[in-house]
Amino acid sequence: MNSILFLALKDLRLLARDKFGLFWVIAFPLLMALFFGAIFSSGESGASRLSIAVVNESSSSVAKQFVEQLQQSSALSIRYMSHDSARTLVGMGKLAAFVELSDSAKQASSFFLKDMPVIKVGIDPKRKAESGYLQGILTQAYFVLMQQQIMNPAKIQQAVDDLILQIDSSSTINPETKAVMKRFFSSLKQFTEYLSINGADSSSSFLEASPFASPPIEMEEISVDVDKPRSSFEITFPQGLLWGLLGVTMAFAMSIVQERTKGTYLRLRIAPITRAQILAGKGLASFLACVLISVILMTIAKLVFGVRVVNPAGLALAVVCTAVCFSGIVMLVSVMGRTEQAVAGAGWAIMLVQSMVGGGMVPLMFMPSWMKVLSNFSAVKWGIYAFEGAIWRGFSLHDMIFPLVVLTMIGVVTFTIGVTILMRYEQ
Amino acid sequence: MIQVTNLFKQYGELIAVDHISFDIYDGELFGLLGPNGAGKTTTINMMVGALSPNEGSVTINNEGFPTEPDVRKRIGNAPQSLALYDELTAEENLAFFGRLYHLRGKELEKRVMYALELAGLVDRKKDRISTFSGGMKRRINFACAVVHNPEVLFLDEPTVGVDPQSRNLIFERIEELKNQGRTIVYTTHYMEEAQRLCDRVAIVDHGKILALDTVENLITTYGGTSVIEAELESLPDESINLPGRLVGLHLRVETDTPLEDAMHLVESGVRFRTLRIDRADLETVFLNLTGRRLRD
Ligand SMILES: Nc1ncnc2c1ncn2[C@@H]1O[C@H](COP(=O)(O)OP(=O)(O)O)[C@@H](O)[C@H]1O
Ligand SMILES: [Mg+2]
Repeated sequence: MNSILFLALKDLRLLARDKFGLFWVIAFPLLMALFFGAIFSSGESGASRLSIAVVNESSSSVAKQFVEQLQQSSALSIRYMSHDSARTLVGMGKLAAFVELSDSAKQASSFFLKDMPVIKVGIDPKRKAESGYLQGILTQAYFVLMQQQIMNPAKIQQAVDDLILQIDSSSTINPETKAVMKRFFSSLKQFTEYLSINGADSSSSFLEASPFASPPIEMEEISVDVDKPRSSFEITFPQGLLWGLLGVTMAFAMSIVQERTKGTYLRLRIAPITRAQILAGKGLASFLACVLISVILMTIAKLVFGVRVVNPAGLALAVVCTAVCFSGIVMLVSVMGRTEQAVAGAGWAIMLVQSMVGGGMVPLMFMPSWMKVLSNFSAVKWGIYAFEGAIWRGFSLHDMIFPLVVLTMIGVVTFTIGVTILMRYEQ
Repeated sequence: MIQVTNLFKQYGELIAVDHISFDIYDGELFGLLGPNGAGKTTTINMMVGALSPNEGSVTINNEGFPTEPDVRKRIGNAPQSLALYDELTAEENLAFFGRLYHLRGKELEKRVMYALELAGLVDRKKDRISTFSGGMKRRINFACAVVHNPEVLFLDEPTVGVDPQSRNLIFERIEELKNQGRTIVYTTHYMEEAQRLCDRVAIVDHGKILALDTVENLITTYGGTSVIEAELESLPDESINLPGRLVGLHLRVETDTPLEDAMHLVESGVRFRTLRIDRADLETVFLNLTGRRLRD
């Protein structure tokens, strides 16, 4: 065991010193994940805006005005739709929340906004920050609307002037009544003049003091189903990760051919260690490198890009089983030719095809169905599938067994074939 | 003692090693001399247990096959290719191969230091192999075979592509190692090397051993005559019975005993202006055995 670990550490040290190899193993996958993640996410929405659905099923004009008010908010990206689609999209996590105005909901008991329906908000209870933010925006819009309705002194003064003129010129009102009315409206005019002089200050304090000013918002909890990716990074990081594993596979396959062509393998073979130990050392080195790359990339994904891990135990198993899988493939690729060029050529060809049909380029969920069938022959597909299962597909451990077994099988079979061919080379 | 018995190795149609047998004695420096493709490397690889022969066997120190762990510990091999990790330093390479032979701690440090001195590369120990010249790589390749202090040492063309200084250093080290009592098997296609270093030489071609003996005996048996070429100062007396052919003042003598003949001429009063003795060498031996030169 000691010898195996020692052999493996030598290989890891060599990998760490290979700057070019490291690029393909870490930097390139990360760039892939970030690049495509950014492209996909910019298509969905402006990153800083809160994407919500607005469902306006109210016929009142005040509801319409309220929606117009929301529309002006730069903090929101709004899509209009029916109640059902809004619910579905929020439930899938595609939209942060929906805001619904409907006549069937009970009327808000607002004195000033007469026909304002209750504002219904549907949001995932886990989205606490967004929920608070959205309520703030709704409250603000509501106040603005209310203020427009009741607190426009110029509007009121104009109306009072018009009224006094009408009273003056009326021939049907008797002069005594006329006098009483003129006095009443004149003092009303004075009152509004007073208000406009003292400005917004008095009006806002008046509103805040008002018992019916708080907006009629009703919250509804919508739990998001986990089996949908919430951000594009949840798709591109498993992809990037698999590219990293392909990089590791090629790096180690090349290191095995180099050992053979340079003659260091000959030195290993005549040392007092067994062939099994040499091969186990190689296997362990590629296994550890795969695990290390997975852990690094997943840590960045989680800490920096907020990629969720719905099933941590499943993720750990996915890391281990893909590492087994690709360590086996290392062995097979390393014997696909006698020279470094032959192995590099054949190796990358196989890797690229596997990646193409396996969802390394076009994400699995966007593939046409015939391609999905084809993808079952790719180790990359099972790797991505297992990672997605643990990240956002919401697989239970039971759901994960199948992809994990497939990955392990691929690893064992390719390793066995690789070793058999290697032993033939040695004769 | 190393016993090679009826060793045979075939790659498809091609016979690389064709039923060869020989013994190597303890403390001997044994040479395998032959052109490229003669089967030297294939023979060595079978002797160190890296390649299994189709027929025949190898036993080392009467103890058994070179594939047994106990035997392996006592064998060192410097492969013909530069079998080193380019991105590890000289010291790291030596330490790695030392550990493969179960050296640890102080003992390992001591042996690594010894090997670095042997290679004359102590001051470059922290540098990566990829920064070394061809000669330096050869020296480390050689030192890696010695780091675990083996009793039997196989050196497969250890001087290919090196500068004269490195070559001399390697020669000196090999002689040192031999003087310490080690058995050394040395392959080369340079006859000067075999002639200088080896106690006995096996001349191989097309997988067969054509001749095996000490250098002296090989030359005597297969070298044919030596040649004395001389310019005389003056025509000698009629009374002196000159061997060979005299044209003007130029004398040419073909003989098996050139030194004795030259001495005899001097004693009988012949004065030379120039004198050259072309002794037969292993090149001539190979030419006489195969009708081809060693290096084409
Ligand atoms: N792995 C191999 N497969 C096929 N032919 C080989 C292999 N190794 C050596 N040979 C052939 O065997 C012959 C002897 O090779 P080798 O032992 O390397 O010669 P030398 O070391 O004397 O130059 C050569 O003709 C070579 O081409
Ligand atoms: Mg050779």
